[in-house]
Amino acid sequence: MDPSGTFFTHYAGDRSLVRTRAQWACLALLLLVLATLPWWASERWVSIGYTTFITAVAVVGLQICTGYAGQINLGQSAFMGVGAYGAALAMAAGWDALAALLIGGMGAALFGVMFGLTAARIKGFYLALTTIAAQALFHFLVLNLPQGWLGGAGGLHVEAVTVLGISLGSDRAIYWFSYAVLIVMTLGALGIVRSRHGRSFEAVRDDDVAAGMMGIPVAATKARAFLVSSFYAGVAGGLWVVALRHVSVEQFTLFNAIWMIAMVIVGGLGSIVGALVGTAMIQLAREGVTSLGPSFVQWVPAVGQDFVFAAMNVLLGTVIILFLLFEPKGVMHRVQITKKAYRLWPFPY
Amino acid sequence: MIDFFNYLINGFLQGQIYALLALGFMVIYRASKVFNFAQGELMMLGAYAVWTLTVGVNLPLWLAIPLAFVCAVAYGWLIERLFFERLVGESVFSMVMVTIGLVILIRGVVLVVWGAADKSFPVLLPPAPLIVGEMIFPSNLVIGAALTLVVTLAMSWFFNRTRMGLTLTAVAEEPSTAISLGISVKRAVTLAWMMGSVIATAGAMVLLSGRSITVQTADLALASLPVALLAGLESIGGLILAGAIVGIVQALVAAYVDPVIGGSASSIVPFVFMLLILLVRPTGLFGWRHVERV
Repeated sequence: MDPSGTFFTHYAGDRSLVRTRAQWACLALLLLVLATLPWWASERWVSIGYTTFITAVAVVGLQICTGYAGQINLGQSAFMGVGAYGAALAMAAGWDALAALLIGGMGAALFGVMFGLTAARIKGFYLALTTIAAQALFHFLVLNLPQGWLGGAGGLHVEAVTVLGISLGSDRAIYWFSYAVLIVMTLGALGIVRSRHGRSFEAVRDDDVAAGMMGIPVAATKARAFLVSSFYAGVAGGLWVVALRHVSVEQFTLFNAIWMIAMVIVGGLGSIVGALVGTAMIQLAREGVTSLGPSFVQWVPAVGQDFVFAAMNVLLGTVIILFLLFEPKGVMHRVQITKKAYRLWPFPY
Repeated sequence: MIDFFNYLINGFLQGQIYALLALGFMVIYRASKVFNFAQGELMMLGAYAVWTLTVGVNLPLWLAIPLAFVCAVAYGWLIERLFFERLVGESVFSMVMVTIGLVILIRGVVLVVWGAADKSFPVLLPPAPLIVGEMIFPSNLVIGAALTLVVTLAMSWFFNRTRMGLTLTAVAEEPSTAISLGISVKRAVTLAWMMGSVIATAGAMVLLSGRSITVQTADLALASLPVALLAGLESIGGLILAGAIVGIVQALVAAYVDPVIGGSASSIVPFVFMLLILLVRPTGLFGWRHVERV
């Protein structure tokens, strides 16, 4: 709901995402802070920044598939890997980074939609479980295709990356590039979920039999959700290559895919902003533990370094389960409730 | 020709071991409609429990193995008490999500308690091969397969013939109706998780005997996923056939295709095979067809 006194006289206003001047101001401030971050923050923050942006692209895609279309997708990490290999091949051939990202995204989408297409026959959990096969297939293909194609276990290396003639050599350049890509991809996702397709995703999620009766092609919609989701994963994989200039098969594990699902859960299923918030929260928590770990070991030398890293998994695993038990709709849902209560105060409704 | 039969029988035996791991998934699914993504982690937890009892505390095997099962019952109960008890009546989707959280949590717990270094798992099953005429069977596989057959048939009987087993099925199908008929959903789900953990521990003993274990061991359970899906998630008896099919196909591919292409096609064959079967029969070989109403 909107704050008191805010009402629109045009349809365009009613469907706008940013609704008040204060919201515009906050958004602009946030975008500005993030955009200028490389100038005033340390290099460590810059690298944390771009890893978060890259993960966020994949998680936004996963949000569309799992949060909107209701299809549990455990292949996101493998799809990201496919995109990374596609983009790495394109970049190694001297293509522009933007073109390489597109190649990566389309390659991943092609791979992902194969699993979506099985939706024509397979339903429910069987469908979710077949996405695990994506992980197995990806590993197999990379490791067993001829050494010259994808580099086998050693992976691929990319020398230099340029976008529109600008070199993406420094951490700052990578930061701004992935920031720009994230913004574009987020806008795209917001567009998709507000469109006809987004609405049919939600209908299929809530009840696929009913959705089918309303004339929504259920199997095609599920396939489309996988297509979009794996395209996002592929673009994220491309960014991964831009950032690391190296891609190998062990960077994309099933465990990573599980972390991405965790980010979606913490942020809130069925909210694009939630995907961003969830990614930022979990990535920052992981980074926090990683960087605070050594100093914690200095204070309390009794616990070893290994213990701290292991404890991080326990901590974050617990946090995720607690979210599911007590806040199953994620942070964004709580934010919405609080906002509504604040606007209505002192009335209950 | 004798080679062919050797591959065939060894594939069959290996497939039965996968079936034992798949049984863990299935038992929990049959009793609560929850697909437990943390089944591999349960197996790993069982493996570490066995390791601690045998290598760590140095108990004799006849004492350590029953104790390991007691531990499995204990953490199965604990997981249900901590997490799933609160989710009774919630959607299956959120319960499945909790099992995904469990994957991260259990891996963390194992790292905290046992560390990241490799541990060598004790030899529980005799490694000497069994030789019958010209056929050679690894005796650990034979014992494992025999155990699988016994446990699977027992579970199949339990779920289809006993009152308690039918109660569990009722709980999975329609929890609210089950409650109104006086069935304790909590007790049913607890029992399911205990059985799931015990079977996972048994699977760990058979699969890992004489190998080394790390956190990555949990991934091994995923290899059993095609077996579970092929059988159809509801059919426990079907596991034996599905395990045999997957095992034999994998063994034959490993024997005849891998040397030709110079890669490990056999690792991927179960998944491809599973996808193809599911495209023809979406509920697996023996899964239940559900009539959906709106």
